[in-house]
Amino acid sequence: MGEKSIDAAAMLSSELKVVNVGLEIFYHALKLQNIKVVDVNWNPPPKLEKDTQDLLDKML
Amino acid sequence: MKISDRLRRVSDGILEASIVMATETNKGILIRLGFSPSTIEQASESDMLIAIRAKDEASLVLATAKVDNLLESPAQLTTGDQEKASDIDAALRTMPGTNLVMLSIPGEHVKDISHKLIERGIHQLIFSDHVPVEDELEIKEMAAAKGVLILGPGAGTSIINGKGIGFSNAISTGPVGVVAAAGTGLQEVTSLLDQSGIGVKHGLGVGGNDPKDKIGGIMMLECMKILEKDDDIKVIAIVSKPPSPAVEQKIIDYAVSSGAKKYVLALIGGGSVGGSRKQVSNMIIRVNSLASSVLAVAKVLGDEHLHRALSRTYMQPEALVNLLQKEWGRLQSSQRFIRALYTGGTFTYEAQVILGEIMKDEPICSNAPIQRIKQLQDSFKSQEHSVIDLGEEEFTKGRPHPMIDPTIRKFRILEEAKDPEVGVLLLDFVLGYGANPDPVGAALDEIKQAKETAERNGRYMSIVAHVCGTKNDIQGYDQSIAKLGSAGCIVMPTNALAAVASAVVISRGKIDLTHPYSKYLELPHDWIEA
Repeated sequence: MGEKSIDAAAMLSSELKVVNVGLEIFYHALKLQNIKVVDVNWNPPPKLEKDTQDLLDKML
Repeated sequence: MKISDRLRRVSDGILEASIVMATETNKGILIRLGFSPSTIEQASESDMLIAIRAKDEASLVLATAKVDNLLESPAQLTTGDQEKASDIDAALRTMPGTNLVMLSIPGEHVKDISHKLIERGIHQLIFSDHVPVEDELEIKEMAAAKGVLILGPGAGTSIINGKGIGFSNAISTGPVGVVAAAGTGLQEVTSLLDQSGIGVKHGLGVGGNDPKDKIGGIMMLECMKILEKDDDIKVIAIVSKPPSPAVEQKIIDYAVSSGAKKYVLALIGGGSVGGSRKQVSNMIIRVNSLASSVLAVAKVLGDEHLHRALSRTYMQPEALVNLLQKEWGRLQSSQRFIRALYTGGTFTYEAQVILGEIMKDEPICSNAPIQRIKQLQDSFKSQEHSVIDLGEEEFTKGRPHPMIDPTIRKFRILEEAKDPEVGVLLLDFVLGYGANPDPVGAALDEIKQAKETAERNGRYMSIVAHVCGTKNDIQGYDQSIAKLGSAGCIVMPTNALAAVASAVVISRGKIDLTHPYSKYLELPHDWIEA
């Protein structure tokens, strides 16, 4: 278990502000309920060759 | 997927439209949907397949024109009523104070994004399936240490302050908190509570892996603590397929020793710690079905609530048999099997639990079998009694979930109706946010055709249905039930009753209802006497 108790009270008791990443239907479902939501134009990161990825991981 | 969806909406004459990469799985699905194998097989993995079936030539022309149009100008695929942020950082800058991120992206990409969000202290609901369990553990351990709430992975449903996130119903706010590791289970329980005049404040979905040993119930227990601290919540329901014994013990220990509220522990089919039913302590009521959990919550809240819950969700065994007598009276002797075609995963599970116990000596198969149920050799072809989860990967790869796009079930209904050994079709219809705009309407033609096919062949097709939803759902709960009723379906108020009703019909009323009623449709006097 976590060392720190989860304090989600702030989120659960205040106005929901949601960022939606992925299926657009969920964005529309939130909008229908007048929940503040921003939709993200998410795309999977381009696939790199393993050697290139390893090199980048080391550099960054 | 998005283009396919647009195509289907071009005209009512479009029966099926799929634009998919020509992977072996997608090719297999299209062939099973009735497209020509010789054409489909010519496509290689790097090809894109465009498959359209239409009622008439005009619809086909419209659809092909739309394909050209969409592929030439993909920008049209954004609906235009929202401005999309270019990435998550940009979205967080656009909306300072973001307190929840909803992730529905391929599972392999979840961990990296989730870690970054945890570092920023942002709670998450992760709908994505196929997140490696090692990733899930790492995410949840890190989140718990940082005080961040993770709902999911594999959590399609949550309710926060009465608002639905993901697939969810329009629920009134009330004194109940729910923690669930069962998506449509959470929808069923919260919808039935709403129908019973009891609202829900928070319903937190933690994902199906959470109560297993590998994750150890990390978020389930954190959610219990969160709900315990909420003064508006009087009773907490835990809804799950049976957890590992160790996690079940942790849940019970926390509720008994640290909890100050009453608990209803609904482990579908029963748990393994401290017997399978009734009260574990004066803090906890244990039940074995989704429907029973609603009666238990109502009982805790008072007799007035219980009375209403009973009137909305319960049916006496005698009344059930009376209602169904006509149904089984019309079956031919060759009609021996139930075919359950589910869109909800938890409903599939609960139906297997109930049917597996009622019809112990009968062969029951599933594509997602639980203990004692046989693995279906081919998910696309039913055998004997079959309980099919159409939300499983083999049906959803490259296609929307059947709760969003019911096409795959429409074809399956027609196929089952041709089988002379089938006597009962059992169907669920899930309403609410995120779901198809009219799931009942979408299947109505096929339901009617299934009945006509049976009739033409001198048989009768009994169709038992359950609608999971509330009066405030956008699809219209009462209208959905009325449509099913007018098409000759028997509509049951709960999934548990629908499963029992199917067994009653196919057995021609010969099953002993004492056991299923005492285990899955029990009445509160059992708990009081415990």
